[in-house]
Order: sequence, then C-alpha cells, then structure tokens
Amino acid sequence: MIAEKKYLQPHTIADALLFAQQNVDSFSYLAGGTDIIVNKFQGNNVSTCLIDISQIAELKNIVIDGNCLKIGSLVRLDDLKKNAHILERYPALIHSANAVASPMLRKTATIGGNILCENRCMFYNQSDWWREAVGYCLKCDGDICIATGGKKACFSKFVSDTAPVLISMDAYIEVLDWNSSTIEPLESIYTGDGITPLALPATSLIGAILLPLDHPITIFKKLRPREAVDFTSLTTAVSLYESGRLKVVLGGVDPKPIVIQGTINDDFEELIKNALKKSRTVDNDYYSRAYRREMIKVFLQQSFTELSLRP
Amino acid sequence: MKQVTYTINGKKHSVIVQEHELLSAVIRDKLGLTGTKIGCSQGSCGACTVLVNNEPVLSCITPALRFDNAEITTIEGVALNNELHELQEKFVEKGAVQCGFCTPGMVMTALDYVNKHPNPTIGEIKEALSGNVCRCTGYKKIIEAVCEFANGGKENKTRNIHISGAVGVGRPYIEATKKVQGLADYADDHQIKNALHVRFVHSLYPHAYIDDIDTSIANNLPGVRYIATGKELPIPFGVLPISQDETAMAVDKTRYAGEIVAAIAADNEDIASEACKLVKVKYRPIKEYLSIDDSLNDIGNNEKIHEYGKFNNNIHKKAELRFGDQEQGLKDADIVSKMSFQFEGINHGFTEPHAATAYWDENGLTLISATQVTHYLHRALAKVLEVPLHRVRVIKPYIGGGFGGKGDPFPHEMIVAHIARKTGKPVSVKLTREEVFLTNHGRHPSRMTIKLGANNDGILKVLDADIAIDGGAYGSFGVVTSYYNGVLLQAPYRLDNFGFKTYRVYTNKPQCGAMRGHGAVNSRFAVESMIDDIAHKIDMDPIELRKKNFLDSNTLTVGQYRITSNGSRESIDKVAEQSDWKNKHGKLENGHGLGVGCGFFISGSALPIIWNELPQSTVHLKVDFDGRVLITSGANDIGQGSDTMLAIIVAEVLGISMDKIYVLAADTLLTPVDLGSYSSRVTFMAGNAAKDAAENLKKEITYAIATKKAIDPAELIFSKNSVYSNDKSVNLPWDQAIEIVTANRGAVNVSGKYISPKLGGDFKGAGAGLSPSYSFGSCIAEVKVDLQTGHVKLINVWGAHDCGKALNPLAVEGQLEGSWHMGIGQALSEEMRYYNGLLVNNNFLDYKIPTTLDTPNIHTNIIETIDPEGPFGAKECGEGAIHPVIPAIANAIYDAVGIRITKLPIKSEDVLSLLQEKKLIESI
Repeated sequence: MIAEKKYLQPHTIADALLFAQQNVDSFSYLAGGTDIIVNKFQGNNVSTCLIDISQIAELKNIVIDGNCLKIGSLVRLDDLKKNAHILERYPALIHSANAVASPMLRKTATIGGNILCENRCMFYNQSDWWREAVGYCLKCDGDICIATGGKKACFSKFVSDTAPVLISMDAYIEVLDWNSSTIEPLESIYTGDGITPLALPATSLIGAILLPLDHPITIFKKLRPREAVDFTSLTTAVSLYESGRLKVVLGGVDPKPIVIQGTINDDFEELIKNALKKSRTVDNDYYSRAYRREMIKVFLQQSFTELSLRP
Repeated sequence: MKQVTYTINGKKHSVIVQEHELLSAVIRDKLGLTGTKIGCSQGSCGACTVLVNNEPVLSCITPALRFDNAEITTIEGVALNNELHELQEKFVEKGAVQCGFCTPGMVMTALDYVNKHPNPTIGEIKEALSGNVCRCTGYKKIIEAVCEFANGGKENKTRNIHISGAVGVGRPYIEATKKVQGLADYADDHQIKNALHVRFVHSLYPHAYIDDIDTSIANNLPGVRYIATGKELPIPFGVLPISQDETAMAVDKTRYAGEIVAAIAADNEDIASEACKLVKVKYRPIKEYLSIDDSLNDIGNNEKIHEYGKFNNNIHKKAELRFGDQEQGLKDADIVSKMSFQFEGINHGFTEPHAATAYWDENGLTLISATQVTHYLHRALAKVLEVPLHRVRVIKPYIGGGFGGKGDPFPHEMIVAHIARKTGKPVSVKLTREEVFLTNHGRHPSRMTIKLGANNDGILKVLDADIAIDGGAYGSFGVVTSYYNGVLLQAPYRLDNFGFKTYRVYTNKPQCGAMRGHGAVNSRFAVESMIDDIAHKIDMDPIELRKKNFLDSNTLTVGQYRITSNGSRESIDKVAEQSDWKNKHGKLENGHGLGVGCGFFISGSALPIIWNELPQSTVHLKVDFDGRVLITSGANDIGQGSDTMLAIIVAEVLGISMDKIYVLAADTLLTPVDLGSYSSRVTFMAGNAAKDAAENLKKEITYAIATKKAIDPAELIFSKNSVYSNDKSVNLPWDQAIEIVTANRGAVNVSGKYISPKLGGDFKGAGAGLSPSYSFGSCIAEVKVDLQTGHVKLINVWGAHDCGKALNPLAVEGQLEGSWHMGIGQALSEEMRYYNGLLVNNNFLDYKIPTTLDTPNIHTNIIETIDPEGPFGAKECGEGAIHPVIPAIANAIYDAVGIRITKLPIKSEDVLSLLQEKKLIESI
C-alpha cells in the first residue's frame, strides 16, 4: 500500500484539471476507483496524490448531442441499463457493461474508468513483495517480461469489456485538458505498449463517450472462468453496419484493442486470420495462449453466425 | 488529515481521517463498527459492503474521504431496537448463516437489491449476489432466504426462531441472531487498547540461506517497537509430534517464497509495513525443489529441504499397506483399468483471514486466535515459548470458516505471543489475503496411477494405487494425508485385494495440510472415475455396478475398519430416483449428461494426534439455582454449528428448552480438553461427551428428587421443562427440580467424556483412518458441455449423505451444501498456481471460488441410519460429502461427450483438447 499524502475532491472539470496541473509529478485521477485502489494496495500505483473526480456532476449525464449519444465518463456501469436510449439502441454496450466484474463493483465503476482501465498481467497484478521476488517485470521498472522472457515489449492485457464494443460502434471520446478539448476516435488512445498503454496526456480527462446515433448491430462475447467477477481472457465485439461494413474488435489478447475492418463480402476466415495475426497473445492469463487464440476463432465464427452472416 | 463527518446508522460521527485511509478501516478501527468485515481488500468478496447514501459500496476499496457528510448504514444499523429486520430473520430462519463472516455483506447487498427490485426471480437474486463470496453455504440457503423475504417474507413475518424440541428439529445456530447483526466478534474484531500491530518480512526465495538480516534502519523508524527474527524462536513445532519441523520464522534458511523472515511490531500497521520495506535481508539462494519429481529424485550434492530422513532425496513420508494379493487379483480380473491422474493444490478459501491477539499478564499468556485447534495451539505455544502449559490460555472467538485451514498451530500465533512478552504490550496481527494463501495448509497437489480390476459381472476384484503428494515446505498433517490417500480407498466397496503406496515429498512451496475431506478427495476422484470407466466397458449401469459392490452394514473392510451404520444404498437410490437417472443417463443429447459418484469418510479419528490417556473429548455441565445449564467444552465451533449441536444434545437428554442452556466453548482456561475441529470428529466425540455429561447430570437430579420425594428413580421422566412421574405424584417444573438438587449443596457440576473404543488390526499403519463410525454418500451431477469452447456448465447436483441421525437437519443440510459447493470449485475452477515457486493466484480475484452464478441447483437429501455409537445415532456430515461430487461431475462429462477427465480442475481448454483428440481418433 502506498500511502498517498494528498486527496483532492474537485466538483468541476476545471478544478480537476487545475489540481492535475498542480500535482502533475505524482497524481492519479480516481473515478470509481475500483481498479486504482487495488493497484495502490498492491503497490502498482505509487502516486502520492489522488484527485477524486467522482463528484463532478457534469460528467454524469447521458444526452443526445447532435447525431451522437453522449455518455458522460462518470456514468456508472450499472446505470447504463437504466437509460432507455441505450437499452433500445445499444444493447451490446449493456451486455458488455454487465459483464464487468460484479454487480457491486458496477455500482461504483464508471464507463470512463473502464475504458481507461490499466492493462493487466498475472505477473504484474501482484503485491510489491511478489513482484520483487519474481524479479520485477518491464511494467514495473524491471528488465524482462516474465511472461515471455523478452526484453523489448510488455504484453500486459488490455482488459476493458466496454471499450471493444464502443470501438466497434465507432465511438469517439471527448478529451479534456488544460485549455483544450478534442474529439478523438476511442481506438486512437491505445498505444499497444503494455507499459504505457494510453496515449493520453496524464493530466487529461475523458469528458464523454460519443456514440453515433446511426448504430450498428453488435455481438459481444467474453471468455472468463466464472460467470461473474473475473477480468476478461478474451472479449470480442463484432458490429455490422447497415452499409455492410463489419468492424471486429478484440480485447484481452493484446496490450491494446485489436481492430479489424471488413465488409460482409469479405472472406470471414481471412478476417479471423487477420485478427489472430494482429493479436500478440502471451501466456499471462488463467487460460493458455493457445486456447485464447482458438477462442478468437470460435467467438468470431459464432458472432458472424449470430449476425446471420454465415450458416 | 481531514475531519469528516458521517451519519452512521443515524448517529453523527466526526472523525479525523488520513488521505490514504479506506472507509472500511475507519468504520472498523476508528468507529468500532466491526460488523463490516474485510475478507480480500480488493472488492472481490463483498464482505465489506455498506450502504452509503442508500447505495451499496465496497468499503474496502473506497477512500474514506470520498464520502464526507454521507449517510452510511452498516450491518449494525439494519436491525432496529433489537428487532431483526425481516431479511435478517429470513437469514436466521433458513440457516443462511454458518460461519457468519460473509453474512453482513450478504445482508447489505441483498437488502439494497430487494428494496430496489421487488419480487425478483431466483436468477436475478443469484446475479445480484454474484460479487459476494460465501465459502460455507453453497449459497443455497442464502438465496432461499432472500427469495422468501423478497417474495412475501415482508408480509409473513417469521417469528419462529425459538423452535421447540431438540434432536431432529431443524434450527438456526444459537448465535445466528448475533452474527446476522454483525455483533459476533471474530479474531480481528477484538480490539485491545494500546495494542501493537505486526507485519511480516517474507522470503523472496524458495530455498536460500539467510546470511544476514539488517534491521537497523527499520528500527529507527518512529513507531517501530520491536523487530523479531527467527533466531529468537528456534524451537520447532507442528501439529503432529512426528513432524515438528517448522519454526515461527525462518532460521538460517528459508524453505519457501513467502516464509516469514522477520516480524515488526509498531504502533500501527502502516508503520509496521513501512518498516518491513527497510529490513535488508541477504539471501544466498540454493537449489530449489518445486515439483514432485524434483523431490523424489536423488539430489546429488545439493542440500535437502530438511536434513532429517535417511535417503538423499526430499521424501517426507512413504507409506505402504497391502491386503490380499493384488498381483493375483489383477491376473484374475476379467477387466483391468489403469489410469493416471493429476491434481492441483486447493486452498480452503475461508472468508475470514487469520488473525490473532496476544497479551501477557499475571496469569501468563492469553492468545485470542482464529483457530480450530485450541488444544494443540495451547501445547505448541507452551513448547515454542518455553512456558508451562498452565501459563497459557488460548481463546477461540467466532471463526469465519476453517475447513482444515485453521487446524494447525501457526507461525503468526507464536510471533505475536513472543513479541507481546518482549514488549509487555498486547500485540495483534491480521493476515492479508495473500498471506493467508501463503500460509496455505491446503489440499496437496497430487498425482497417482491406479489399477482397478473387476469381473464381467461388475464385482470389483482388486485395487492398487501408487500415489505421490506434494507437501510443500513443512510437515503439517502430511503424514496423515499420506496414509489417507491410500487407506480411505478400502470402502465403500468390498475389496479383497487392496494395496497402495504413497509418497509425500517436501517441496519449496507453501506447505499443504488438511482440508475438508482430508487426504481422500483426490484418490476418491480417481477411483470413482475408474469405476465409471469399467461400468462403461462392461456395459453396466454405473449405479448398478456400485450397488453390487457396496459394503454392508456391520462388517469389516479388508484393512479392518469396523463399518457399523452404512447408508450407501439408501443414498445412491435416493439421488438416482430424484435425478431420474434411469431415463436420463446415457440417453440425453450429445453434450448433455449425468454422472454419479460415491464416497465415505471417517467420523472422527479414533486415535488422538498426541498419544496420552486423556479422553478425546470432555464436557462439563454446571447447573445452579437459576436453572440454567452451562456447557463447557473445548470443541471449536468454526461455523459448522458445533455449539448448537452440544446444546441440542443436552436439551434432549434433560428435556429442557434451548433457552435454558449456555455454551462456553474453546477457551483453554475455562473449558475441558477437546482435541479440536478436525477429522470430522466433533459431533461424534464432543457430542457423545455432552450426552454422557447430560446423563450424569440427569442422574444427579434424579437421585435428589427420588430421595426427596421417595419415588423410584426409574419413574422419573425429564421432558417439557419438567421432571415428573407418570402418575403425577411428582410433577416438578425445571426450576423446582433444580431447587431440590442444589439444596444444601449449591451448584452441581458434572462431567462427561468420550473415549473411542479400541479398533483396528495389529499391523504397522493399522491406525490410519480408523474411526468409530463412517459416513457414506452419493452425488449425481448434470452437465452441459459446449462442444465449441469446452465450457462445462453444471446444471444440477443431487446429493445424499448418511449422517446417521441429523441432530439439526438445517445445519446438516448447510454442511452438505457447503461441501458440494467446495467440491464444485475444485472440480471446475480452483487451483493453486505457481510460477518458479511463487503462488500466482494469491487473492480472491484470481483464485476462482464459484460465485452464485457458477453454482448449480443443489438438491439436498439427508439419509439417516442411526449409528449405534453416535450421539442419538449421529455421525459426521461436514467433510465426507465433498468426495462424491467431484467425480460425479467428471463422470457426467463422460456421459455428455465421451471424454474421461484425469486432471483437476476441469478447464474448458482441457475439455476442448480432449474433444478434439477424441474426434481425431474416431476419424482414423
């Protein structure tokens, strides 16, 4: 446990960004906190200042804004299903949110927190003692990836369940920072580097997730040993657009979400091959690398079938 | 630091909170509301649930400063003016409270859900509770309680907690109302003023010399009061006299990664933790042994894990027994099945982490600890601390589950006692969940090869087992485990040619020990799988084959176990009928199947661990002028309901209601010796001792009344809180009867005891597995296997268990359901996974205890056979039931898809791989 020395609780976005600027050397934003507090307990998060943004009311709204549905980043995962619009048009988002952790955690965890959830690895999400005993991995200032023995890359898993669905739905995010506000495709914020998986400036906040009202049909699937609590071993989201466009997104098998674009006229086996080729899956999970890769095939085939794209 | 204000349970509190403090810590440690429990510290078990501004919150991962000015409801605020909430009443009434440690969180979660979702379905309730772990109940009774409350319970308030009658009447535990309100104090709830708090430095290496421990920097940290290292406590201990191989902290060398190397006591945990990081230990790693093979082999010039032992390897115990002629049996058998199996280690997963507090005063040492063996802990403390037995007192508070995992004396108990003596202050420790996993003592990883032979008519002819178990770094119960893996295969089937060889090896991993179903769970799985295999090969119904081979009642096994009552047939018939076995087994569509398994278990080890002439259990009763009967017993109620069992027995004998009884248990100063909660011995042995004591008290009362009233003692009847004769010439309410017996004498004290009869054969190893009685049972499981993913969905478990006589049917059902649930976990998801000797899944997120959603419909059947020596015919029900469920699941998978499982846990990927292999073979 790293005992932070400062706990700030802004009530506005402006205050939150200001606090971040003032503590830029060592701080973490805390939304629901369901991951960060555990990471602090294990010594993986060593920031000395927590900026608890959970009281910022302006980040908790769900509104239609032009041709987008705008979901505030502090909307709790449990609250998504209470929105009639999401329920009607984006059921896969609710499926994915309901697949996160447990009902209790979903009452605290937010959608913004989920898409920014720190990458995980069974050799990294351990206590400080354990990581020291194993010899520290690349993600905690060590010299070697324990999972692969390599020295160049960290393969910690991207584990958000909602982000693959959102990306497959062409979601954008509103990125707020000191004196700036930008709209970016959600998929663009993930670096693929397991050590620093997010391409966002440390001080920036996610204001909202923007979903086009022109929504696809999406199939969501998650592989996990138990039917609750567990982080993903593989998440798949397959979206079929009216135009015939297909967008396949994988989570849990690479340091970032894997995105495959295609159309209904493509050879699906090729799409699957492509997904497998792009996934840098390693043995750092409850299930073996081989099984998770095999399940990529199975889940995608099942998704295509459910979308009536294959017999 | 900041001052925050909470309104908790309607009362305003202003409290100074530090930036890093969590809500659970403030509620518990600063405000004393210890009903909120901490089981995992990572939001994975739900025990810490409270309501904040009417929303449920996991307080163990919630910053305390987040909720300034909030309205908070903890479990202590749910009952109003000493009146239980209707949901709490349902928890009590339905038997949803066992150890009670998860109960506050369960109640808070369920209360919030039902208040916001009236009339939920069972599926919705399961979903709502899926983040709350219970290790005792299998969730069944919890779900029933919530369901009844949600769907009518509010209108039909149940006030029927004070049930009349004693033996055979289902009733909540006597302490259930206290537990359901969060008022029962567990080890970490005993907050003693001015106590120091201990944290540990753990070894980084599995096997290494300790060349130096530099504590100088840590010592200078303000608030650090004492640093202890291994050399201060060099006397070894262990639960078995023959395996006294562990010290409180590593001395000179460390034998597993995670072993305690130093202990720091400070003013608070944060300081102690910080100081641990400042201790510099110089290790010199030496060759480690991490697998069974590593340790079976000659080690050459390397160093052994333990020096003793005559061979140049790390074998701890070799056991071999043979009866009949296995070689001839294998030749004679029409069909022989030979299979090899592999099992991962399993942790008990009790929800309450170990905790203890020690202090010394004019009476010597007092230790309050979460232990299921106060007696052995008493002895170990005296030995290690070199104090006379009469200067040691061990108190067991309420215990949040044990399952064998609190059944040894532990290093942390020695350490706090030692530091308390050195500092003159009370010293407390509570282990993190990671430390609980490192402490382990769980089920041994094992591998075995078994040969089973039968004739074509289904009669089993021979069983020969070759077994190796991985004991980890120390002995614990391992010698017993070694034997149990073999000897407990000699029933429930008749086997004339039976033999086994087992090896227990030391490895550089956390030690293994006793866990529910001790020693026989894995080998039982293997044999039940092979019986299924033989049944299929000779085209015989697996139930029919089993029934052809069951031992009868009142018989001897080949190894001279005395079988008295035996409900094997009744058990298997019951589950066969209930599951519609005849119409389903072998007849369902591909991917859908039913499987059966059977088992048996000891009802208390007939031999004590430490040879002496003490009874195995002694119970004292005292009755004074007020008519209340005080039971004092050393038996450890660890959530299985043994205190209630004692009260039921005494109430039955004396014909009095339960409210006239008070149970004082497991305090080595005040209670007579009982050997503890292990080997499923408490109902049989402490129960018999209580019955003996009650009968002695009855004699005293009878004699006094008969003398006073000049009536034949045989005429007196004890019933309905009275003592009377049939002709009513004597008709005394209980208090008047007590007036007579206490006249001119004062309080009456009596004693009762249980000593096991002499049993067994006259050969080395004959004592292993001897018991005055054995329990029997069967399970049928129904599964669906996803042919594309290999995922196994368990749909139903039908279980039946012969417990002799259910003294408290509600409690018996709870034990059975909990056993089956634990078996389901071992079957499908649980394993202790290591990387280079480091336990990888050392928390409740990564160690996969089945949630409500992973738990099937459980159909519970109690079989009663009235054991001739059990108290009122009772025998064990807390462990044996786990045996049949695991093979039943694997056999159901065979029925569903035709693959034979030889490795636990049954992971989807292994199932898929076997399916692919089968397809390939079929295609050739």
